[in-house]
Amino acid sequence: MIDYRRRMRANLAIAVIGLVLFAVFPLVANSGLVFLAGLVAVNIVFGLSWNLLFSGVGLLSFGHAMFFAGGAYAMAVVSLRLPDLPFAGGLLLGAMTGGIIALVFGYIALRRASGVYFAVLTLAFSELVHIVITKTTFLGRNDGLVGIPRPVINLGVASIDLTSALAYYYFIIVAMAVVAFALWSFQNSPAGRLIQAIRQDPVRTAFLGTDVRSWQLTAFVLSGTIAAFCGAVMVPFAQIASPEIAYWTVSTEPILFTLLGGAGHFWGPAVGAILFGAIDYATRALYGLSEITVGMLLLGVVLLMPGGLLGFLLSRRTAARRLTGSGKRVPMANAEKAT
Amino acid sequence: MVDIGLTVFNGLAWGMATFLVAAGLTLIFGILHILNFAHGGFFMIGAYVAYSVMLAFGGTMPLWLYLVAAIAAGIAVGGMGWGVDKLILRRLRHVEDAYSLIATYALLLVCVGAVQLVWGLNYLSVMPPPALNSVVFLGDMFMPTYTIFIIACGILAFIGLEIFISHTEMGRLIRVVAADPWMAKLLGLNVRRIYLVTVVFSFALAGLAGGLLMANQSLSPELGGIFLLQAFGVVIVGGMGSIRGAFIAAILLGMIESFGTYFVPQYPGIFFLVALAVILLIKPEGIMGKEQTA
Amino acid sequence: MTYRISRRNLVKGAAAAGLAMPFINLRTAAAQDGPITIGIVTPLSGPVQLIGNFVRQGAEIGVAHINANGGINGRQLALEFRDSKANPNDASVAARELIGSGVNLQLGTISSAVALAMGPLLESEGGVVLTSGAGTEKLNHENYNAHVFRVGDSPVSRNAGLVRHIVQSRPEIRKWGGIIPDHEYGRTTWKIFDAAMRKIVPELTGEEAQIADPILVPYGSGDYRNYITQAMRLDVEGIYTSVYGGDAVTLYQQAKPFGLFDKIDVLLDSANEFLVATAMKDQTPAHWSGFHWYYEANKGNPLSDELYAQYVERTGNKYPMGWAAEAHAGIMAYAGAIAKAGSTETGDVIAALKGLEFDSATGKRRIRAEDNQAVKNAELAFIEPSASAPDGFAVTDYVSLDGEKVIEPATPGQPLDTTIL
Repeated sequence: MIDYRRRMRANLAIAVIGLVLFAVFPLVANSGLVFLAGLVAVNIVFGLSWNLLFSGVGLLSFGHAMFFAGGAYAMAVVSLRLPDLPFAGGLLLGAMTGGIIALVFGYIALRRASGVYFAVLTLAFSELVHIVITKTTFLGRNDGLVGIPRPVINLGVASIDLTSALAYYYFIIVAMAVVAFALWSFQNSPAGRLIQAIRQDPVRTAFLGTDVRSWQLTAFVLSGTIAAFCGAVMVPFAQIASPEIAYWTVSTEPILFTLLGGAGHFWGPAVGAILFGAIDYATRALYGLSEITVGMLLLGVVLLMPGGLLGFLLSRRTAARRLTGSGKRVPMANAEKAT
Repeated sequence: MVDIGLTVFNGLAWGMATFLVAAGLTLIFGILHILNFAHGGFFMIGAYVAYSVMLAFGGTMPLWLYLVAAIAAGIAVGGMGWGVDKLILRRLRHVEDAYSLIATYALLLVCVGAVQLVWGLNYLSVMPPPALNSVVFLGDMFMPTYTIFIIACGILAFIGLEIFISHTEMGRLIRVVAADPWMAKLLGLNVRRIYLVTVVFSFALAGLAGGLLMANQSLSPELGGIFLLQAFGVVIVGGMGSIRGAFIAAILLGMIESFGTYFVPQYPGIFFLVALAVILLIKPEGIMGKEQTA
Repeated sequence: MTYRISRRNLVKGAAAAGLAMPFINLRTAAAQDGPITIGIVTPLSGPVQLIGNFVRQGAEIGVAHINANGGINGRQLALEFRDSKANPNDASVAARELIGSGVNLQLGTISSAVALAMGPLLESEGGVVLTSGAGTEKLNHENYNAHVFRVGDSPVSRNAGLVRHIVQSRPEIRKWGGIIPDHEYGRTTWKIFDAAMRKIVPELTGEEAQIADPILVPYGSGDYRNYITQAMRLDVEGIYTSVYGGDAVTLYQQAKPFGLFDKIDVLLDSANEFLVATAMKDQTPAHWSGFHWYYEANKGNPLSDELYAQYVERTGNKYPMGWAAEAHAGIMAYAGAIAKAGSTETGDVIAALKGLEFDSATGKRRIRAEDNQAVKNAELAFIEPSASAPDGFAVTDYVSLDGEKVIEPATPGQPLDTTIL
């Protein structure tokens, strides 16, 4: 029997520790690194949203950029054209944009395709979204929408000024920690467990009276909503929404984070996103070697650590404990899946 | 009338160039069930190898030398396929498909990086051999001979692959493994070897396609990505690794792209994607469906 | 391609590995008499690295020139490179990180989206960027920002310059068509070409120009045959194109057997300089190309001669692209502004750059105070295939037009009005 309450406490602790580490980071790092850390925080949740689909219901999405860009552009348009709308309204609209895209696309696609076909379909749709953005004057075409203001949140009695990059950074990390923990709670709720059962054995789950498709669609919409929320949160930080964020290479990012960190662990994508940020930073002054460096590194991880970095570390720890004979089972979050 | 004729001709050229790239991709997809991102990268390496062979012979080339360069590229890239199977694909056979997908994506990055290091970033251009550098007139319609050559290569590649898959011992073995690797193993087939042969053959096709198409477009480290999505579309629309399906899909998508551009010129390059999405929604298992493999 | 690792960078890298450098704010540490560091945020990887390399060489040659001549007010110049990955987010990280370590003067931006994103960022963080050639007209019009300067051609001066020269030299050509990339850049160049033609042709010849609808082509395609057959159907005497780089090579290569270039009298290429010619050699179609800097047109200008000689010596490549000269001009502009202001503080440098006149590889340039746009010569050259030339092509004509005559009026904050060109 797994002690859920203890696991909940442990994962809440992980989210809080992560938050604290991100919070003290600006004390020791310069503004470029803080900006990168803010992007990494967004990427962590972007990766988690993707893994909800992949490890959750076993759907491989190659088009998560369309949700991210959907949320980002919705937020950009709202901030530039409806400046009177409260900031929370923009976030909500951004997240909903992703949810709606996911609902429409998922409703059609999940009835028809699965596996690699589903992946290519998401890729094709996402490319279409990219092209539509580059052709829509309202969305700034190829040049994107620039000069997006950061908000001042009015709470009646007091107001929170998020116009500086640092203040907004703190908003990002709090928002991302909350969403990440909410996502963990969802995955460990009865609904979340049902979704995982679908992945492990769709036929048997269906036999037990579950409507597999509608649960897959639910997960898809949830994943799209969260990815779009990430895009919406990122836009006032970067102050630009450009078509690059809808390009297919952005869709590969959450996949890389997840596999690098470890798909079998809830926090795997988080580890991967942080690692990727570090690689990005380390290769920032290399001439013409960044493709080959990233490529080799990824190949190395996939070949030598197929469970990702987290899987590799945890399995070593397990092995070490077994060797010392303590016999105590390590509580690994969602780690029972073979990868 | 001339316009329609040319539009069909251009559509065929698009389709056959894409089919040449997609043929090896289809083969590997049918047997190993992975979409090989690196295929685009090795196609590009094939084009660059052929270019180097051509330079080694002084740069001007008769048709036979052009073909020799293409075949040399096929052999060289096939050899790389042998290494890739031994070092990478074989190790990933028992993990989820997503990992192979990521491995091939990583390999694509390595290919791009390697091309930059070996051949540099400059754009290169190869002209077709003199024998293929003219125009054939059909009434008022003008058809460049090199374009005719590409279409012919595509059709020949299709016929060759059909004969190989349907009428040779190796082809039959490949079909058996594609249908049911577990059963094939029980029957005592050397599945591992058949996988290796498939991968090498698929890579060799990528290299050959690179060599044949070297004069079709400019060479640069971007080349790997240019045909990739097109080739993916053709493989998927064709259906689970079906060569015949891919051939039909290539012609179909080529025509859609070509006529789309003809009738709605204000949206260039979008018809292929729209067609891909629509076809997959109507018939997600692809033209040749699931039952027929390889 | 050579990879030079300076000892300075090596030391910095070693320090970074020890996790020391990036976490320390260097602003206070930057002494008043130490070297002045200029940040270069430009693509160092990916396909656009081709351009980033020219930026790098140009900036390094410029810095060597300044330092060899005693530096600025006795202080030497140094460079710090960062990879922008041609992506606004990566460029933002790099720009902020450099500012955080005290490097507030930057250059090297190439992509329009990145250049537009830099304005608000530098305004809040406190920095300046000189772009080496971002091609959007918004930069000095509706998205004008005091912290962003373009020391190179404005898209208007470039394209209006091309048009003016062509109409003057070939006044009999009235019927024009265009092949342009389906991208913001393509639309901008076409809008200006179209407006300039419609104004300049009647002005010089008294007759109307006949301009067909442009043919839009997709980015990064391996097959342009359908667009070429569209172009074949046009009844035109001249074709204007702003298709760039590898796409242009593919387009020209595939258009050749169709005889497109035999059918028309003039092929006008807005920006490829030697990119097409060095790839296609003796198969290059004869064409006029716009240049940021064409060294032959500036022979006798010591800065240009030095830049060319140094570039060839460093790379072995005899055909440097104008991007090198734009980065070089960026260094010259900073040197001039810092000397004039006697300070490297953001506000002082901005004030000094506005209205600055400085020498560059293309001669004197003047930065307009109103919209931060440089006024410089518009250069173009006629490239022809040549059996006798060692590289298969030769430049047989070139011209350098006075920038004051081809630039648009400054209207910062307002969209470009093509009726006043």
